[in-house]
Amino acid sequence: MSIPLGYYLMLSAFLFAIGLCGALSRKNAIIVLIGIEIMFNAGILNFVVFWHYKYFAVLTAQMFAIFAISIAAAESAVGLALVIAVYRYYRSVDVDQMTSLKG
Amino acid sequence: MDTIFWILSIITIIGAVMAITLRNLIHCVLSLILFFLGIAGHYFLLRADFLGAVQVLIYIGAVAVLMLFAIMLTRHVTGDEGPREVLGGKWWAGMGTAVIIAGLLWAIIRKDQIAQALPAGVAKTSVAEIGKALVGDWVVPFEAMAVLLTAALIGAVVIALEEVIRKR
Amino acid sequence: MFLSYLLGWLPRIGKPIAAFLSNPPEWVLVALAIAIPIGFVMAVFPGIFAYTTLVERKALGRIQNRIGPNRVGRWGILQPIADGVKLLTKEDIVPRRADKFVHFLAPVIAVIPSVLLFSVVPVGMGLVPVDLNIGILFAFAVSTASVLALFMGGWASRNKFSLLGAMRAVAQVVSYEVPMVLAAVAVVMVVGSLSTVRIAQAQSGGILNITNWFVFRPWGLVGFVLFTIGAMAESARTPFDIPEAESEIIAGYHTEYSGFKFALFQLGEYLASIAMAGITVTMFLGGYNGPGSGPGFLGGLISMFWFFAKLAFMIVITIWIRGTWPRVRVDQLMGFAWKVLLPMSIVNIVAVGFWHYLTIRPIAWLLTTSWLVAWFIVLSKLAATEKFAPRTYRYAS
Repeated sequence: MSIPLGYYLMLSAFLFAIGLCGALSRKNAIIVLIGIEIMFNAGILNFVVFWHYKYFAVLTAQMFAIFAISIAAAESAVGLALVIAVYRYYRSVDVDQMTSLKG
Repeated sequence: MDTIFWILSIITIIGAVMAITLRNLIHCVLSLILFFLGIAGHYFLLRADFLGAVQVLIYIGAVAVLMLFAIMLTRHVTGDEGPREVLGGKWWAGMGTAVIIAGLLWAIIRKDQIAQALPAGVAKTSVAEIGKALVGDWVVPFEAMAVLLTAALIGAVVIALEEVIRKR
Repeated sequence: MFLSYLLGWLPRIGKPIAAFLSNPPEWVLVALAIAIPIGFVMAVFPGIFAYTTLVERKALGRIQNRIGPNRVGRWGILQPIADGVKLLTKEDIVPRRADKFVHFLAPVIAVIPSVLLFSVVPVGMGLVPVDLNIGILFAFAVSTASVLALFMGGWASRNKFSLLGAMRAVAQVVSYEVPMVLAAVAVVMVVGSLSTVRIAQAQSGGILNITNWFVFRPWGLVGFVLFTIGAMAESARTPFDIPEAESEIIAGYHTEYSGFKFALFQLGEYLASIAMAGITVTMFLGGYNGPGSGPGFLGGLISMFWFFAKLAFMIVITIWIRGTWPRVRVDQLMGFAWKVLLPMSIVNIVAVGFWHYLTIRPIAWLLTTSWLVAWFIVLSKLAATEKFAPRTYRYAS
């Protein structure tokens, strides 16, 4: 394959920026979590790209990627449970309305 | 091979952009699934087969379903569409900033020696090696991950279940 | 006269054709290598699906003391064609407030994973569409993607019954995936590879190519039962057909679908059931191995015959169970998966560990069998929460 490494790095930077933009600019809590998932995937893609291009003799990057995917899944599970619990109290998932620490 | 890279990249970027800009939440999650498929395609292109299959299995099979359930439980049962709410209408500001930063990044990266590297050899995944590493060199992170996943499972159930227990 | 004129032309076009056939260019070989497996899978397995629907209706009819369809063609042979024509020509009704894009996409997403599953099933010796070295993992990854179609179908119809059906269907499918995958892990541990071709090859040899099948080992038998139960719950077949039970929830997640989209849902469900039967055959029943299968042309043909015979056996077992057992209640369903099947599959993995490390075979058989039987008794005693009074029979006089 004759794609230089830089192209993949640009792709992963784009995706990270898109995820960041989504996490910061929407007010629905679930879309914030979607943005976080996009950021996770862009980071893990970076690891796998460097594994392919330079460090394929060692398994470190793949191990890291496997653990990162598992942690991302666990984090999204807990995050969504929190969203559901907060919805029960506030009756909305609008992050602008969750302004008090009480309750 | 190169055209596949471009096609997959376009699919991935379109999926990500639609996932954060669509109005209907279910459509957002569906385009997020398209994004996950694009990333899995990139993993297969980069010859990390096990990771590609794990990506499909975990992200599309579990995380996306979890998000769909969460959307369903936090709205009225038959579904509503919320108002459009992206950046208060000034999307051109964000777009201009993005173009400038992308241009700067491109100018920096294209002259860098590392970034022009082509693959130094042929990468190959061996699932047997990954398995041996998981219980050999990497056994401590593996066990820690098991504890973390158990804690997350129990924690998520407890958090989402609280109301039912208190009402009794 | 005309014939001799034609025959005069033959050598002029024959030579380039012969040169082409004996040494074809590269792209022709690649195109054939792609087209032949795809053509085979797309021709054979939907044909098996069509006649499975007919066999199912006739078998269910006989179990219920009636004859199945017998009007279209002799013995109802042309019934699948009649069904296909009927469903294709029905009006396609979409509810007015339904989400049109998702409503359109759900049946398509129901079919794609089911067809993709066939690409890793070896139908004969050396006859697999794609020989992935992560074959079984690919199969499970793709089958979890079919969960989305259930949810999308239920959500897009804007119908409370559809949504309830979709939620129950997703909960059931996701819960039964776990013991199914763990039962497959036992087989993968013994073979040492995730590739379906290597799993089928590991079961060759033995007397008449039969005694090495994994179903004849203690852990293999338990794994076979667990995997079959999980596969039946995955494709929502009775006794796990709460998602689409006509007497319970109208038709669950495919209530609002008519015509060709309904046909696509049925196609996806049956193809998933047949593909899971194919994977069960590969992992536990020896794949394509049978007396007479071997490398070579004749051995390959015999191995294909054995594969399809075992596939037919598994499909008949599924239909038989559908006709004779009642539906599992929705609260019993989840309890069964998490409290009985999941511990049993973990116990099965430990049993494979014993089998591998005890090299003296009789001791290995004894220990493994007694371990599995002991845990089965313990789990069934723990899970039996209802006490049943002795049965009384009242006969009509």
